[in-house]
This record gives sequence, structure tokens and C-alpha cells, in this order.
Amino acid sequence: MRKALFITAALALALGAAACSQVEEGEGGAPAAGPAPMPEPVTLSDRPDATGGEALYVVKCLMCHGANGMGQGLLARRVDQPDLELRGDLTADYVITAARQGIGNMPAIPRGEVSDADMQAIADYLAAGPHEAAAGGAS
Amino acid sequence: MADIPLPPGYDAARAAEAQRAFERVLGADQVFFEDLDRDSYKDKFYVDPAAHHPLGAVAPESVEEVQAVVRVANQLQLPLWPISRGKNLGYGGSAPLLAGSVVLDMSRMKKIEFDEQMGTVVVEPGVGFYDLYDFIKANDLPYWMSTPGNSWGSVMGNALDRGMGYTPFGEHAKNIIGLEVVLPSGELVRTGMGAFEDAPTWQNYAYGFGPGWDQMFVQSNFGVVTKMGMWLMPAPEVQLSLSIEWDRPEDLKNIVDALAPLRRERVMASHSSIGNWLRFASTLTTRDQWTDKPGALSEDVIDAIRKQFGIGWGGLSIAVPGREDVAKAQYAIIKAAVEKSGPSSIREASWKQGEPIRGDGWAGTPITFPMQNSNWYGGRGGHIGFSPIIEQDGSKALAQFQRTYARYQEFGMDYQGSFVFGERHMINVNAMLFSQDDPEHLGKVDRFFRQLVADAKEQGYGEYRTHLDYMDLVAGSYDFNGGALRRLNETIKDALDPNGIIAPGKSGIWPSRLRGERKA
Repeated sequence: MRKALFITAALALALGAAACSQVEEGEGGAPAAGPAPMPEPVTLSDRPDATGGEALYVVKCLMCHGANGMGQGLLARRVDQPDLELRGDLTADYVITAARQGIGNMPAIPRGEVSDADMQAIADYLAAGPHEAAAGGAS
Repeated sequence: MADIPLPPGYDAARAAEAQRAFERVLGADQVFFEDLDRDSYKDKFYVDPAAHHPLGAVAPESVEEVQAVVRVANQLQLPLWPISRGKNLGYGGSAPLLAGSVVLDMSRMKKIEFDEQMGTVVVEPGVGFYDLYDFIKANDLPYWMSTPGNSWGSVMGNALDRGMGYTPFGEHAKNIIGLEVVLPSGELVRTGMGAFEDAPTWQNYAYGFGPGWDQMFVQSNFGVVTKMGMWLMPAPEVQLSLSIEWDRPEDLKNIVDALAPLRRERVMASHSSIGNWLRFASTLTTRDQWTDKPGALSEDVIDAIRKQFGIGWGGLSIAVPGREDVAKAQYAIIKAAVEKSGPSSIREASWKQGEPIRGDGWAGTPITFPMQNSNWYGGRGGHIGFSPIIEQDGSKALAQFQRTYARYQEFGMDYQGSFVFGERHMINVNAMLFSQDDPEHLGKVDRFFRQLVADAKEQGYGEYRTHLDYMDLVAGSYDFNGGALRRLNETIKDALDPNGIIAPGKSGIWPSRLRGERKA
């Protein structure tokens, strides 16, 4: 339920209808208070200790598979654990196949964008999960 | 080999020769000509699954490598399709217009140069909105980006296709200041003050001396842009915002007329977008949660959607960032105008420096979840948009809405329309959500799109940006003096690109040797 409420708020803003609670008018006609802010996306500077496949996952994947991400939202409709870093059932081959061919509404990730070596490192990282301490961008 | 898409005049042997030539200048690990590669560069949001298949792709990592690729293409008369990150979903993504083209994928070029004092940045094509966001955050720079609803893509690519964001800097092509371009000959040129060797003012003054060429490389195929200068918005002291809803579709007129004068005065500077009820349902839910009936959503379903999300028939948000004293004064004027327009609800919010920032497009934060609307039909899907430029006038906006809404009903499409406030215009974005698991539905989308183009043409309205399938159609609608603009564009194209190698057909501009490929 918490996640569903968060997504509703985020959606409203992105689509041009700021999800703000009714607030009292303050000095000069400006609003006196605002809603609880939505979380910012997690990027590499938020996880400075990340290296190797983990760092590549943050840079290449987390924009969709983290907070405010399309992949996170659509996976939540289908699986119990949408955060890929918290999954313990992913194999490297599955990750590579899904990413290279695309899956569901996820577009394919070409080799020009993510090299074979980088894709393998990302897949190995996810296959070694769950990474409880990382908790991706789902927070 | 028979199934490999080939450009005009090519056979499999010549394609293999091209692959080897690229491998000689880039190395085999930057050249991608396998079936998997061809599939991965196709248009994910296709309407016609058989169109726009590439021969392969190359991924240069430097300006010098881009020049080398262009020289090879010239020697072999091989069409290239430059992409920055290829996430232009809804407009073709990473796919080329002309089947058999080689995708010139610059997503590995990711340099960022930032001038903190002036608030200017120079980005390479592969720099995504999340990359620049991370750079600003990591270096604690006092600037905000302007981000589009799908921020997966490239900062440069989005601006070069006239993408939009929400903040006062939301018309991204206007923020361009200085380009570096590889011309079709392979020669490197810099525009504006960049033409002056080592000028420290490249990103400060747009024009240099003589003609200014920045906009010549926007939505064009006259060169390959390898660096783009851009202005960013200084982080505001405060941001005051309000959201309004209204009950009847006819209320659109009052809203537009209330706000348009303030937009022209720049009292309201944000690129606010009026949207309807489907903007919530299409992203948060799937269609089968509401109805199992085909055709356009019925009134009772619309009522149910509005009730669940607590929204009106239409809604709009406005944000006022800036110095606190100035923003308060602007906000009070905007709020008074909005109240007179008869909204059913007004909700307000404020933010000031030091408080946690909102993670959304109004604060220039990148997001990707709006693309969840591709799952509206529950399976594989996508969307394209028909987006004519209309007058900034309430009666005209309402008439445009009523004409278009009637067409959605006629074609049995679910209506997701919006009206974005430009400074002296509005963009009427009509999204067409579709299922790729239903061939009949896909076929209908094409007929529907063409009908909307014809309807808009009768009003004198043309699109500002379009999908690969419709570039010739839309270019053809710009028909003053028998299509004089297209003749000018193609005269320039032939002068700069005599072999016709850079993005043939982009924006309806064809080089002479491939002009027969133009579609009706």
C-alpha cells in the first residue's frame, strides 16, 4: 500500500497535476506548506562504494529499475519483489537474455549502449543476489 | 542473408564489405552486424513491425571516430542513422527511417564540461538526463535541469528533437548555445563563438559573427552533432506551485484564456500542461481493471476513473520558481487568475532551499515511470503522439479538443490529450496508446493518425515533431508556395551531403539520390 500511494503522488506531478495536499495560505498569498516530498532517484553519487557490476547496474539500469522507474512500476504488477537487487532467483543468462532481447514492455538494450563485458558484469552481480544492503532505488 | 535489411543499391557482399571497413577504423568490438544487434536497434514502440530495420550499428567513442565512420560511409555511399542514446520512444527510438541504414550509436560518448559560474554545460551525445543529474548532485552545483516525462534519453538528443520539460527552461531547443558538428564530408565545425579558436564565451553568446547555425542542426540531417552547449536554470530560492482541476471539458476555454496572457507576459513561465483523466489511469492501471468493452472508454468508465483518483475532467499544474519576493508576487497574480476561471479545486504547495526537494519533473528531476502507459492494454504496447501547434486562445483550443475527441470516439481510441503552454503557442499533444498484441488495433492507429493530420491541416495546424512513419506526411503538410521550405532543405542537403549518407528522410528531407524513397 505504501508503494502504491507513493507512485500515485509521483505520477500526478509528472503528468502535470501536482499532487499537493490542501494547505493554508501564508504570507503574501503564497502557500504556507507543501506535501511530503517524493524521493529523488538513486544515482552513482549516492552509492560511492559501488564498484564493478554493482556500479554498472546503478548507472545503466536504475533509472528504470529504481524509484520513479518504469521497470520498477511494471514489475510490481507481476512479481512480489520488483527490486532486482533484492531478488535471489535471477541467473546471469536470464538477465542477459531479457536485456538483450527486451522483455514485456522493456526495450532491448543494444551492445553499442552496454558492451558484452559490462552486461556480463551486471548479470553476474544480479545473479549473486539478493543484495540486502544495496536495496537499489526502491526506497 | 536474404533477410538482412539492405539500403538501396546494396547486396549482401557489399554489406559485408561495409562491416569490414567499419571494423578497420573502430575495431570489431564497436561494430554490431549480427541478427541480435539488428533486433535490438528496432523501434520498440513500432506501429508497423516490418518497417525501419537497420543493417547494423557502430558505436564510436570519440569525435575522431565519428569522423572516421562518416568518411567510410561516404566512400561506400552507405546511409547512417545517428542516435545519441536512442530512447526517443514514440518517435522511432533507435531505429532508422530508411531500412538498411547503419545506426551511428553515440551512447558511449559521455563527456560533461560544466561552467559553475555561468551555469552552462557542454555535453556529448551519450550523456543522459540521469548522468547530468548525477554530475550536478555529485558536485553540489546550484542548478536545475529541465527533464522530459521520459528522462531515459540523451540531454542532447532530446533538445535536438525539440523535446520539452516543465520548468521555465522547458523548451529545450531554446537552451542550445553552441554546437560541434561533424559535417557529412567528415569536417569538424563549431557554431557561434565556438568558431573562434579557444573563445571562452562559446556557451555565453549564441551567434558569433555572421549567420547563426545552431538551429540548422535541430530536427535536421545536415550533420552529426558531437557536442552541445546548453544553459541551465539557476536553482531557485523557492518554488510555489498549484494544481487545479475542473469538471467539464468545456472549461478548457476559460483556463486557457485566464493563463495565456500571463504566459505571454512571462508572469507564468513554466511549461504547464493541461491533461485529462487518462493521464492517471493509463500509467497506474491497466485497461481491463476498468472495462472489458472495446471502443473508446464510456462516460461511466470515465466517471469511475475520476472518482477513484479524485480528479476533474481536466487538470493543470503551475510552478513558480525564483527569488522569494518575486515568486510570491507572480504566484499571487497567477492564483487570482486561476480562481476566476472557475476550477473545481485548487491545491497548493511550496518549497524553499534547504527543504527536501521533490523528485519530479517540476524540480528538474529525471523520471521514467510515465512510460508505464505502454502497458495500458496489459501486454506489449507503445504510443505515438499527434502534436499540432495551435493558437494560444481558449476558443481555438476548445474547438481543437472537440474535433479531436470526436475522432477518438469515432475510431474507438481512448483519449489522452494535453495542451502545453508555450510562450505564444500551445502544443496539443494527442497520445495514441496501442497494443502490439492486436494487429487490428495497430492497423487502426495508422488510419487514425492520418485522419488527425488531415483534420489539423484544414485548420492550418502542423505538427512540431513526429514518428518515423509520418515524417514525409507531416513535412508535406508544410506546403507554402508549393513546398518551398522542403526545396530549400533539400538544396542544402544536396550541397552538404552529396552522397546522401546522413539520416536520409529525417524530417522529410531526402538527398537527391534517394528521393524516390519518399512516402506519400
